[in-house]
Amino acid sequence: MLGKAVAGRTSRLSERIGRLGPLLFKPVVNVKPRITPVTRVKPVLEPAYLSLTPALKRGRWDPPAEKTVAALDPTVFRHPIRRDILHLCVVHHLDSLRQGSANTKTRGEVRGSGRKIRRQKGTGKARLGDAQSPMLRGGGVAFGPKPRDFSTKLPRKVVQMGMRVALSAKLREQRLGVMTRLYWPNGKTKHLAQKIDMLGLRKTLFVTGESSVHQGLQRAIANVPMVQLSIASEVNVYELMKWQRVVLDMKAVQYFEETLKKENVPVLDLPVQESAPSATPSQSPS
Amino acid sequence: MSFRTRIPRVTLANLKPAPGSQHNQKRVGRGQGSGYGGTAGRGMNGQKSRSGPGIRPGFEGGQTPITKLFPKRGFVNQNEKTWAPVNLDRIQHWIDQGRLTCSPENPITVRDLVVSGCIHDAHDGVKILGDGAEHFKSPIYIVASRASKSAIEAIEKNGGKIVCKYYNSLALRDCVAGRLDRISAAPTRREDILWYGKYQNRGFLSPLTLKKLGDLPFVEPRWKLLAKELGTWRKQQFIAPPHPQWQSWS
Repeated sequence: MLGKAVAGRTSRLSERIGRLGPLLFKPVVNVKPRITPVTRVKPVLEPAYLSLTPALKRGRWDPPAEKTVAALDPTVFRHPIRRDILHLCVVHHLDSLRQGSANTKTRGEVRGSGRKIRRQKGTGKARLGDAQSPMLRGGGVAFGPKPRDFSTKLPRKVVQMGMRVALSAKLREQRLGVMTRLYWPNGKTKHLAQKIDMLGLRKTLFVTGESSVHQGLQRAIANVPMVQLSIASEVNVYELMKWQRVVLDMKAVQYFEETLKKENVPVLDLPVQESAPSATPSQSPS
Repeated sequence: MSFRTRIPRVTLANLKPAPGSQHNQKRVGRGQGSGYGGTAGRGMNGQKSRSGPGIRPGFEGGQTPITKLFPKRGFVNQNEKTWAPVNLDRIQHWIDQGRLTCSPENPITVRDLVVSGCIHDAHDGVKILGDGAEHFKSPIYIVASRASKSAIEAIEKNGGKIVCKYYNSLALRDCVAGRLDRISAAPTRREDILWYGKYQNRGFLSPLTLKKLGDLPFVEPRWKLLAKELGTWRKQQFIAPPHPQWQSWS
């Protein structure tokens, strides 16, 4: 009886050990070791290759965009498309934008005395108390709006997953571009607008991974319609969904991979940027 | 790429929650067809069909409720610990049968005792007791929560080592599950710090205990750090603040 109980407990423990990984565990000294059968091999994901978008202004030492491919982390840029997660993130963001300042005065807050406006009996009219009753003109509002906070909570991991899904959706729709850097030498808007039109990058959100946006580019792009420049740490799922096309610079790719990467998925190891071999499967933003 | 089926773009316009994840709002008092017309799902008249919180839990219709009928008696000790007792003869029996083994690398811990069936529940920790010390022969290495004087004496007479380590409930659970990825909590209560700082208890915060253990492999480097950090009170001088009356004189 006792032997059976011990066997039951140990078998359950070994199951639990198998689930949580071998390294975290103290070896079971007092139980015979069992060989666990290997049932399946973990798949290794390949990076997502994306040919670079020509830069707004090519730096002297930057590699030419036509011959260069960005290898993107598949856990970030090849995530299965989950529209429900995007919906959660977008609703969460829009909730946070609500002002919630609508306000009305209740009968207690409306100015005026609490004097009984008419005697209780003998008038042949309805019984009334004070003049601020919601039933009367000039009275308070019954069940009116009061200032409140509409913001909702969403688990951090869901928000992170939403970013992964949004970036992956953009990549799958060929509406994601990667530039070596986001840079414009002077603050001239006209030439930048021409360049953007030439590259076909209207209705585009430019995202830089630098801590502050390049001053010249910021000045030049501010008055270009249907284009926006923002920082990777401030971009959210709503913005990624709102803009038709998204162009990241290398720093932004690095930032997203650092913050959103899944550690427990084996991925072929490659640097972010590498010169392209002749026959590399590639996509370009349309 | 005309042969490829066109995937609809993911935009703000075509996002929706996962199917089955949301419920329709229950619209109460909106006519017979809704199923919640008439009484609005509140049944027939009475206190529970009105607005407001209704009757409180434990209310017995005005009769003195059973919670008020009898006087309070006794008290609950918030600091009480239930130790799982293990006697030395039981450990010896388990070792003789080959159900328990230990080495300086793998001392006997709560996990080993639970897994081998020496105890059935760890409760708040294990206390080693000295019953049957005369039959106890093996040199063992053991980490427990508490140990009796006779048990300590018998274990050390046979060339074994015993350390009493503080486990809070989470650390004990981790120990039983065998998880090593989390650091076990240090004692925070004054009584615990004092108790585990004493050599006579073989407390893991006592410098003398750690010195006698030497460099055995199961001794965690954290114990020395904690012993130093939590043992600062030994060297501290306490000066009584001057009496308020004396202050007013000076």
